[in-house]
Amino acid sequence: MHEQKTSPIYEVSFNVRVAWQAHSLSNAGNNGSNRVLPRRQLLADGTETDAMSGNIAKHYHAALLAEYLEAVGSPLCPACRARDGRRAAALIDQAAYRNLTIDQIVRDCGVCDTHGFLVTAKNAASDGTTEARQRLSKHSLIEFSFALALPERHAETVQLVTRSGDTKEEGQMLMKMTARSGEYALCVRYKCAGMGMDTDKWKLIVDDERERERRHSATLKALRDGLLSPQGALTATMLPHLTGLRGVIAVCASTGRAPLYSALQEDFIAHLSALASESCRISTFETIEEFHTHMRALIETTRPALPAAWEHHD
Amino acid sequence: MEMSSLTWLSASYHLPATYSCRVPMSSIASARALPAPGPATVRLALIRTGIEAFGVEYVQSDLFPHIRAMPIHIRPPERVALTSHVLRAYKVEEKTQETNEAPITREVAHAEGLMTIYLQVPASSRDPFSQVLSMIGYWGQASSLAWCTSIESSMPATEECVTPLRLFKSHLPLRPFFSCILSEFRDPNITWNDVMPLIGGRSPNPLHLDVYVWPLIEKAQHGSGKLLVRQAFSAVQE
Repeated sequence: MHEQKTSPIYEVSFNVRVAWQAHSLSNAGNNGSNRVLPRRQLLADGTETDAMSGNIAKHYHAALLAEYLEAVGSPLCPACRARDGRRAAALIDQAAYRNLTIDQIVRDCGVCDTHGFLVTAKNAASDGTTEARQRLSKHSLIEFSFALALPERHAETVQLVTRSGDTKEEGQMLMKMTARSGEYALCVRYKCAGMGMDTDKWKLIVDDERERERRHSATLKALRDGLLSPQGALTATMLPHLTGLRGVIAVCASTGRAPLYSALQEDFIAHLSALASESCRISTFETIEEFHTHMRALIETTRPALPAAWEHHD
Repeated sequence: MEMSSLTWLSASYHLPATYSCRVPMSSIASARALPAPGPATVRLALIRTGIEAFGVEYVQSDLFPHIRAMPIHIRPPERVALTSHVLRAYKVEEKTQETNEAPITREVAHAEGLMTIYLQVPASSRDPFSQVLSMIGYWGQASSLAWCTSIESSMPATEECVTPLRLFKSHLPLRPFFSCILSEFRDPNITWNDVMPLIGGRSPNPLHLDVYVWPLIEKAQHGSGKLLVRQAFSAVQE
C-alpha cells in the first residue's frame, strides 16, 4: 500500500508581482516588417498599460510540464510527446485513435490531463466519407491571467536592430523592437483536485494515487520554474532580467476556491493575508528565495485532494 | 419544483485580472467581449460548479429544476475597459495536416468594482446554492478568473442590472446605454438532457438569443479600447 506522507490540497492560487527588466515576452505582432508591437491593455481606471498574454505563459508551462513528466516516466500521448499544442485533438484522425475516450486520454497523458484538450464534435458526411464524432473535452486545471504592468512602474525603450532579409538582394533591414521593463501583476490558479479526473462529471479516472502525485508535483515544479526563469517570446536575444518577486500563495485544503486578488492593488498582500483560515493557508513572500522555499514545501508535502463530489460516485 | 418561500441571494465577485466572455454570434476570428456574463452563462456555471460540489445526481434531481427557471439578475462591475487584442490562431488542414497561422482578434475586459449575481431560490435550497455561488471561479473563458467575496440575502438593484430590451422601460432613453446580444435558456421547462450536451455532448441548441441593455455608458474611447461606466437606468433623464 502507498504510504501517505503528504497532505491533500484542493486548489492553489498565486497572486504575484513580478519584476522583469528589458523583455519582450508577449507581443501583439508587427506592423508588416519593421516594428514589433507590444501588447497593450486598457485598465478600468482609464490608463493603458503593457500586458503579457496568459496564452503564452500557459504554452510554456505545458512544454516544461511535458519535460518533467517524461523525466519521471509519467505517460504522455503521442501528440504531447511531439509537443503538438493540439494535444489529444491531434490524434483523433489516426486510425488507432478513432474511438478515443475521455478515460483513455486522461489516463494516458499527464499534459492532456493538466492542460485540458478539446476534440470538437463532427457531423457525419452525407456521402458517408466521414463518420460522426462526439465532442471530448476537459478544462485546463491551470489558468493564467494576463500579466499587467503597474502603469506607474513601467517603462519602454525602442531599440533599433538589424536583421537579414529573406534573400541576398534584400540585404540588411532595420527593425524597431521594444524592450519593456516593469513590475507586473499576475494571477495563476491551479485546481489540483481535478488531477486524473473527468471534470465534467467529476469522476475519478486515474485511481493510482502515485501517478496523480507525480503529475501534481511536475505541475508545481513547472510553475515554479516559469516564475523563476521567465519564458515567452523573443527570449533567445531578450531573456529578461528577473529583479523581484513578491506575493501570496493561497492553498485551499478542502472543496472550495483559493482566493484571488489583483496584485495591481498596493495592499493585495494585506487583503489576502486577512483571509487565512483553517481551510485556507496563506503564505506570503517578498523575495525569490522565500518563494522557492514555499514552493519546495508545496511540492514535497502535498498531494491532490479527492473532491467531495467523488463520494457521490460509485 | 418547490415554489413556496422564495428568497433572493446575491453573490459578489472580484475579477482580479482580465477576462473575456464572448458576445454570442460574434465570430471566433473577431470576438467581442461582454462586460459581464449573460443569464445562460450564469445558469451553466451553476450546473458546472454544482456538479463539482455535489455530484451529477444531486444537481440533476435537486438543483437543476430551480436553475433552469429561477429569476436571475446581473449587475456589472462599476467600470469595465474593453481592449481588442490580436492573437495567433493555428489551424491544421485536415487532409495535409499542414499547420497554418492566422491573426484573430478577441476583446478582453478589465474591471474595477464588484460584479453581483442575484438569484431567487427556495429558502430550503439556500445553503447548497450559497455553496455553489461561492465556488464559481470563472465566467466565460476558463482563464477569466473570478473570486466570490461575499454572499448575502438581498433584493436585486434592478436599475443597475442588465435587462432584456423588450422589458426596458419605454420612457427612458436607450441611446447612451451599452447593448448587445445575450443568450438565455430557451424555456424554463427545458430538460436536463437538453442542457447537459453543452458541457459534454451534442443536441439541438437549448439557448435562445435576445437583445439586452446594460446599465453601462461609454465614458471614453482609447485607441481600439473603450471604457464603460455603470449608471442606473433611471439616472439618465430624457
